[in-house]
Amino acid sequence: MEETQNIDVTKNPEAEDAIESTKQKQSEEVEHHCDEQQKQSQEEDELRKLLLSDIEELPLSPPSATQLNFVSYFITDFTKPGHDHYIYRHANGLCVIGLAPTHRAFKDQGGITNIDFNVGKSDRSVLKVSGKRKKNAMRSESNTALCKVSTANDSYIVRCCVKGSLLEVNERLMKQPQLLNSSADREGYIAIIMPRPADWTKNKESLITLEEYKEKKQDILLEPYFSDIPHLRRLALMSDLSSRIVSQIEYYFRRIRAMTDDIHLILRSMGSSTTVEVQVNS
Amino acid sequence: MADETKPASGDSAGLSNGLVSHGDHKSRRVYQAARSLHSGAVKDLLSLGVCERCIFRLVSVEAFDSDLSSVSASTLRSWLESGDEEAASSEESSCCIVCLGVLQFVFSDAKQTLVRSECGSDYAARVTDLVKEEGHEFDSFGLEVYVPATILENERAVLLYLKGKYNSESWLQSEKISVKDALKVLVLDPLKVSLGAKSDSSSFQIRLTYSKASDEAQGASETTRERKKRKTGMSRLYDHHITWLTLLFDLVAIYISLYNEENGSTSMSENSFEKVYEPCILSIHCNKMPIFFSGRYFKYSRNVSQTRWIIDDERMGEASVEVVHLELIGGNILPACLGDSYKFHAAGREDIDVRMLGSGRPFLIEVQNSRKCPSQQSLTEIEEKINKSEKKLVGVKDLKFIGSQCWAMMREGEAEKQKQYAAIVWIARPVEEKDIDSISSLKELKILQKTPVRVLHRRSPLERERTIHWMKVEKIKGSSHYFLLHLCTQAGTYIKEFVHGDLGRTTPSMGSILGCRAEIIQLDVTDVKMGDS
Repeated sequence: MEETQNIDVTKNPEAEDAIESTKQKQSEEVEHHCDEQQKQSQEEDELRKLLLSDIEELPLSPPSATQLNFVSYFITDFTKPGHDHYIYRHANGLCVIGLAPTHRAFKDQGGITNIDFNVGKSDRSVLKVSGKRKKNAMRSESNTALCKVSTANDSYIVRCCVKGSLLEVNERLMKQPQLLNSSADREGYIAIIMPRPADWTKNKESLITLEEYKEKKQDILLEPYFSDIPHLRRLALMSDLSSRIVSQIEYYFRRIRAMTDDIHLILRSMGSSTTVEVQVNS
Repeated sequence: MADETKPASGDSAGLSNGLVSHGDHKSRRVYQAARSLHSGAVKDLLSLGVCERCIFRLVSVEAFDSDLSSVSASTLRSWLESGDEEAASSEESSCCIVCLGVLQFVFSDAKQTLVRSECGSDYAARVTDLVKEEGHEFDSFGLEVYVPATILENERAVLLYLKGKYNSESWLQSEKISVKDALKVLVLDPLKVSLGAKSDSSSFQIRLTYSKASDEAQGASETTRERKKRKTGMSRLYDHHITWLTLLFDLVAIYISLYNEENGSTSMSENSFEKVYEPCILSIHCNKMPIFFSGRYFKYSRNVSQTRWIIDDERMGEASVEVVHLELIGGNILPACLGDSYKFHAAGREDIDVRMLGSGRPFLIEVQNSRKCPSQQSLTEIEEKINKSEKKLVGVKDLKFIGSQCWAMMREGEAEKQKQYAAIVWIARPVEEKDIDSISSLKELKILQKTPVRVLHRRSPLERERTIHWMKVEKIKGSSHYFLLHLCTQAGTYIKEFVHGDLGRTTPSMGSILGCRAEIIQLDVTDVKMGDS
């Protein structure tokens, strides 16, 4: 504030009266400014107290936004054995569809390498849904093909699992298919579908809850190797490890992997063909 | 005094009754006007049962004006009559066939009792009593009158008859004032005196509604009766024939009535004047335009339940964003204004689990039909009462009365509003110094947000670009994974989705900037910057 006032004064050097009065105003305003600052900092302190009033109740590791707002359902062996999907249903009725950790595609070496939305009669990634009434949304049945995921050896068709309007597909996956490997239950979701209430009630009968899913697939979930993150998540599911610890392990695991990649680079440049592999056993 | 000026057009059969006293010049004017009317027409209309003021209205050349209200109906009648015995004075108490008693100052009130007033001021006094019952405080008013539609039909029938008989007369050609306007002219001045208020098109309206005593359509016009007969006859034909045939008949009927209006008919059909005419029911309704109060509100409660979702088959909408306890504010103001109802408008809103702190959010309360305007003193008292209430759910600041510029105040800066938030954020790994620096260094960060999943069911799927103007990280003592994030964003930014990334649909997000998972624990609005206020 004082800076602008100085500039004004220098602009009119002749007007001495102006200088006088602005100087007076300046000193008054400086005082006023101090008062205001005091008042402001008082208010800020009060605000901070309010903001942090619930600090004792902060949980060590909070539930994720997905866990809070969505109900998890799973569907296993859909049309083919090993094709397991999750359906996260939001309180407002929308369903997020994706690959469950026990899907066969994750077992292949190297995980998922590619995803293609051009299946069935149209390319699902170019549909443009507009407006509140969701015009132009594709009406899908539960066995409508959604996309095709490919691994090094094989390719699998992913289906809608829910009857409803297809609102959105995750086109980020086209450029970054590794999202499916690293976080298939969050950033690696495949599509968002809006079912009608009547359709959902009928559909629900063929879905199972998280507990039932864990029981049904516990042999796969307990497979004892850790070399990839989806497997890590499976273990977390089975052992109810707190998600904080899981994400911490994930984080450090990524760092270890980055380090092994660096080590490989160095070894290659030295002309050696040694490989480094990290394995953690439970 | 005894000799009155003889009119030019009248015939000498009209003897003036010299015994009329002329106390003031208003009455004299009216008397002169009465004597100047075409006495043949006057006699016809009197015998048909048209009231005195309607006769004045229909037959006079001069403009109908308020002087007439000071003269009682019986006096008017005596001036109009030529003294012949055939004008039976026992007709006095019957209802006018045109105005159904409206201009005779006769009506039935809510209790179905007949109320008669002799002159305008008496009528105004009765109206004033009814207005005072509503309890409004006002110093100026506007007057509205509603009359039943059959009055217009009756008038048209009478005019047709007159046209048929006196087609060439000059007084017939002038525009006739309607019953509605005539009543307004008659009673406006006495009402002004009796209510003690000025008259203008102000915020306070008094509505006089006359409605028919019985529900059956009296004196229905010819066309409608014919149409009714026709429908039963045509029931044998196919539907689509009926539609265009009835259209044809309607056109013919319209043509016939137009022809009649131009040329008049010498006799009225038997149907028209045999009805019993009953006075109308008068109901009075007073309405004041809505008044506005403005202020800023705070919300201190974070109405979150642990189990947010219920697993059932019902399609559950999102937790209601309309915060019920904000109605506390309106609920306190309404009794102070003695209004009928109120509406609460806020400049934006926040989710149910988000508190509004800091400088408060501007709001407007619109009160419908308030009876009195509370003083600034009482508004301050209401403000204190709300702020000191036990539950501490809401707070109010700067509550004051505001005029019609309130909407401009709300609209301005609605799109340009910047808002400041404070959020408690959790991340998967410990907070490091470089995180604090990297976040604080991001100025005017542009983010792309797809419509969040939690609102996608009711909003269009769009990609919105928003700006985060600045951010500041504050470490929280005692926890390495939580920190306090202050941020200032463009209006319309979804903060929760910015923090947790909304399944990757908001980029960049707090999680992607810090390279790990981030969740938002609580959110508070700390400032809503309006244009200048």
